[in-house]
Amino acid sequence: MKIIEISKLQKTYDSDSVPVHAVNGVDLSFEEGEFAAIVGPSGSGKTTLLNIIGGLDDATEGDVTINNVKITELSSRKLTDFRMHNIGFVFQAYNLIPVLTAKENVEFIMHLQGEKKEARDTRATELLKAVGLGEMVNRRPSKLSGGQQQRVAVARALASKPKFVLADEPTANLDSKSTENLLDIMERLNKEEKITFIFSTHDQRVVNKAHRIITLEDGKIISDVRKN
Amino acid sequence: MIGSIAWRNVWRSKSRSLIMIVAIAIGLFAGVFTMAFMQGAVDARIESATKSELGHLQVHAPRFLENNNIECSISDAREMLSKIETLHGVVAASRRLIAEPFVMAAHGTGGGKILGVDVENEKRVTDIWQHLVDGTYLEKNTRMPPVVIGQKMAEKLQLRVGSKIDVQMVDIDGNLSSKGYRVSGIYKTTNTGYDETHLFVSYNDLRTQLGVKENTAHEIAVLLEDGTNAPAIKPEIQNIAGNNDVQTWKEISPEMSLLTDSMDQYMYVFILIILLALCFGIINTMLMAVLERVKEIGMLMAVGMNKRKVFVMIILESIMLTFSGGFLGILLGTLVTRFFETTPIDVSMFSEGLEKYGFGSQIYTSLQPNTLFTIGFLVIVTGILSAIYPARKALKLNPAEATRSE
Repeated sequence: MKIIEISKLQKTYDSDSVPVHAVNGVDLSFEEGEFAAIVGPSGSGKTTLLNIIGGLDDATEGDVTINNVKITELSSRKLTDFRMHNIGFVFQAYNLIPVLTAKENVEFIMHLQGEKKEARDTRATELLKAVGLGEMVNRRPSKLSGGQQQRVAVARALASKPKFVLADEPTANLDSKSTENLLDIMERLNKEEKITFIFSTHDQRVVNKAHRIITLEDGKIISDVRKN
Repeated sequence: MIGSIAWRNVWRSKSRSLIMIVAIAIGLFAGVFTMAFMQGAVDARIESATKSELGHLQVHAPRFLENNNIECSISDAREMLSKIETLHGVVAASRRLIAEPFVMAAHGTGGGKILGVDVENEKRVTDIWQHLVDGTYLEKNTRMPPVVIGQKMAEKLQLRVGSKIDVQMVDIDGNLSSKGYRVSGIYKTTNTGYDETHLFVSYNDLRTQLGVKENTAHEIAVLLEDGTNAPAIKPEIQNIAGNNDVQTWKEISPEMSLLTDSMDQYMYVFILIILLALCFGIINTMLMAVLERVKEIGMLMAVGMNKRKVFVMIILESIMLTFSGGFLGILLGTLVTRFFETTPIDVSMFSEGLEKYGFGSQIYTSLQPNTLFTIGFLVIVTGILSAIYPARKALKLNPAEATRSE
């Protein structure tokens, strides 16, 4: 079942009056349960494409449809609400709230969704256990390693029960062991929970794990390969 | 949870927040204390004016106050006095004859106002007798009628108890009347202007000098249990006074009324200036707090925190920061003010200047609870206003750019 459909997507920046096509006519779709990586050199448009899919950036032209909702036509307010209920984000720099504990960071998005305290508490604890941080629920980000912080970020991304998770260079700041650990967790969640993950990455280790590899160059898809 | 995050964010940079909280606390402590000090000074001035000079209400014959014309007198003063004293809320009333004399002494001359009073009644209405620094209050110890004068007049005319003065005035028939008095007492109030110009003699002595009929008066002064009830009791006294004029102390002394009415406004302007100065500090602190959290705020927006909630979070941080300092400042100000409500602040080094305007050299602070609530409210408003610019900065962030910012 298709959860994301992208058609004729364009994003053009007017830099010093010279238009730069960061995304240039991309047609793409993602099925539920995919574990896909968008790769390409710097400036190829990976992050811009991911931002537009995530509703964080506007498209110049074209449409992004998620679960039959054209997010490119939503107002800013509705888009924010849509993101909260449908999309999980994992950022390169973890971006956890430093004044909250690991569990509170995971709970936060459920609080925004209006979940009751008991439900939040149970799900946050379960998710942190699932990413191997069951013993560190009350630690603040400053007391966690980079890999542990990124695992909290994954748990947070899943807390809202999103349709898919967008991960922008999630391993860029991690050492090999942490990267391997994180990828194993995400792959397991993908297999067992059927959670869709879409990465933008330079990291070959992520590419190796991905089931589908979409390569971008100058804002265009130059290859889209599915592994068996 | 947003409130909890806001509170924790306040303490993210402890030293920065503490500096701001201490600055707010000191500013508001100074504001509260100054307000209490000024209010105390004004209260004391009003107390002195009503207790020593005016009473709370006065009755005059029509047109008397226009030029103190001695012909404009109340004819049935004693009956009116008796009726007024039966009213609920009235402590005492005293009739007075008033003239504007020329005072001659061995070492100089002066002028002012002479009041002929019923000694015992006057003692119940005004407290000049309690302000005697020498002698007695109109006790007749010699053949000459007694007069009580203010210390300032005594200094100016080089008079002391037992000194003789000659008091000249125009009597009811338009003739010049001269009468000798012996100083029986010297008083000193907190108002040197009053002390320099007001003399007290007995009602009968002045009546005979003026040649007015028995039972007439130029003024009836009324003391109430609670001076704030003057406007409420005024109509009842007006009923008794008939065509005579009845005025509250605020109407008789508009400068005092202005002092009390404008004091609150002056003080709130003063507090607003303090808060305005603090406002810039709070804006700076909140702006720093927002700009160093661009990535985090971008993430919050990305994961679904709408702009209203981001705005509320930043406003709450500012309110919490401001209120922490405000609470400390108000608490400290209140405690110090409470202490000085019973222990006077000695400002005798400025007494000469202060007494010219009727202020004493010992001031007790005075602070109304509603003043504190108003200041607390203004502190919260300051917190909100100070956060608007930083919050708007945060709302303008693009989550996609903010999450990747350095």
